[in-house]
Amino acid sequence: MKKWLAVLVFLSLSLSAHAAQDSIELFGYFESQAMGADIKNEFLLLYSNKLRVDLKSSLSEKVTFAANFDYITFHGKTEWNILDFLRSDVIAEVPAGAESFFVLPFSDRHFLDNAYLKLSFKSFDLTVGKQQISLGTGYVWNPTDVFNIKELFDPTYEQPGYNALRLDIPLGSTYTLTTLFSPEDTWKNSAKLIQIKGRISHFDYSLTGIEKVWRFHDYTQFDFVNMNFLELPGKRKLLGASTAGELLGLGVWAEYAYNWMENSEDFYELVVGTDYTFNFQTYMMIEYYRNTLGKTDYEQYNLNDWMRMIALEQKAISRDQIYVFIQHPVADLLSVGISTICSISDNSFALVPTLNYSLSDNVEVFAYLNINFGKEGKVFAKNMGNGGVIRARVYF
Amino acid sequence: MNKIITSGFIVLFLVPALCGQELTGEDIVQKVNDLFNVESGYAKAKMTIMTTSGQKRTFVYESWSKNKGEKNLVRYLEPGRVKGQATLMLNNADDIWMYFPRTQRVRKLASHAKKQKMQGSDFSYEDMGSGDAFINDFSPKRLKDEKMEGYDCYKLELTRKPDTDVSYSRLIMWVIKESFVPVVIDYYDEDDPALQEKRLVESDIRVIDNIPTAMKVVMHNKNDNTQTELELLEVRYNITLADSMFTERGLKK
Repeated sequence: MKKWLAVLVFLSLSLSAHAAQDSIELFGYFESQAMGADIKNEFLLLYSNKLRVDLKSSLSEKVTFAANFDYITFHGKTEWNILDFLRSDVIAEVPAGAESFFVLPFSDRHFLDNAYLKLSFKSFDLTVGKQQISLGTGYVWNPTDVFNIKELFDPTYEQPGYNALRLDIPLGSTYTLTTLFSPEDTWKNSAKLIQIKGRISHFDYSLTGIEKVWRFHDYTQFDFVNMNFLELPGKRKLLGASTAGELLGLGVWAEYAYNWMENSEDFYELVVGTDYTFNFQTYMMIEYYRNTLGKTDYEQYNLNDWMRMIALEQKAISRDQIYVFIQHPVADLLSVGISTICSISDNSFALVPTLNYSLSDNVEVFAYLNINFGKEGKVFAKNMGNGGVIRARVYF
Repeated sequence: MNKIITSGFIVLFLVPALCGQELTGEDIVQKVNDLFNVESGYAKAKMTIMTTSGQKRTFVYESWSKNKGEKNLVRYLEPGRVKGQATLMLNNADDIWMYFPRTQRVRKLASHAKKQKMQGSDFSYEDMGSGDAFINDFSPKRLKDEKMEGYDCYKLELTRKPDTDVSYSRLIMWVIKESFVPVVIDYYDEDDPALQEKRLVESDIRVIDNIPTAMKVVMHNKNDNTQTELELLEVRYNITLADSMFTERGLKK
């Protein structure tokens, strides 16, 4: 750890010195976070500290380089046993001898999150390297985004970078053709994307085609040779569409994706949302999500369902969900809000009160509580752990 | 927001032919509206919010506008918390997109987003006078002329038209006779036309490229006892701007 800190300090100092000479922008943030959850009558705490250092350099009018390095440390309860959250009949599916592999570790990490070169010409932009890939118009769920799954209680948190080569070709002032290639071990296994985005009247829309290998795991089978759960890779072909605009004064958006699966059942995902800001500054949003991979009866949730959701392999395990969010600026530096995420299919829901406070120009505090209301075995069951997060972030 | 930076503070000199004519409320508002919209412009501005507790929050941003305010782009430079955030407004702010650099997402916003406070300030996007709001959303009536902030002014009452969705029931506006700069605007509660919510005061009017420009604007919030000050740091008018700047691609630059 000391070695990495030394490298980081050296990098920062070197870049700062260099930045003074050339046009390198050096910025980022430090984030300190505490997370708590009430599990089996004990309030468990996990602390983390994250330092993100961004640099951006416009090497010329047409060439930009950008990168960020993340260093994260964890403290407190750094190992969470997933089996503590699951029903006994689900735990019964755990393969014998593999119980210890259901412990979720929070280990210190440092990594190059994004590092890419962007070439901007009159007729196209080419971006090469690790970069964020953000797809779709949904706020909490994005059916057309096969790269990321958002955190339900914190959907606007930044997503990791993916190694990719991306080409954006503007077609007139309102259309853009995007192609993206994200390499894997073979051409066949690599992700390919093509998208056309445009605008008609006050609506944006896009059509997206993606081919990507989806790496599910079977958590009921453990490979003791490779010391991992059995991987079930399968080609996924997606055709999707999204739109966003205004209807009768309301903001509206929709996103749909149909998925053809190589080794499993085809499915579709759908998001429909609307939002509005009242004259008294209160903002309200509602978003509905359907995923036909999800189940309609919570008694059918099995070990694979839970693990795929926890491991962010699958967006949801219940078929229909709804998200409602209301926020109001109660003072000039303070906003409070409340959201509820409801699993319609199993009649469980979570209430998530939120708070945003601007402590100074470059310091903000964000906090939320998550309080679950549901019977054991449901998506938002009480035994999944009521708790919350408080996070202070300092930008530099 | 765009109007603040590029055209909200600026007006042309009064056309000589207008001198001596008895202008109606409609004429004056039309003049203010027309003169708000320069062909194109660039500005760098500093916004300082003074909170109830006496704390300050400062933002610096750049803005470009084209086609008499029909296209606008705003990009934040400071503080680091919002650095790189950008807003694109087309069709007189009927179409709005916001870009969030941390997630590299572009979000299309409906026009109701204009009611939101600009970075927690006392300005809503609506206050900046998007598009032809003074004409489209209000009916003007000329009141008795008055002196305001040391200037001879036309005094107008703008009453909200039925079936519009603006946040104010009426505005009282003092427009400098010499330049058509609206030197003071009072904003009244949407439900109670007698209750004043905010007062906007423009000052430090300088002539830049033959265009009188208010270099400083302060919005006083009477309800919250807060105020937000906008100061122009740099202004240029009638510059050449490529249409490609005002696209999603330009927004993400």
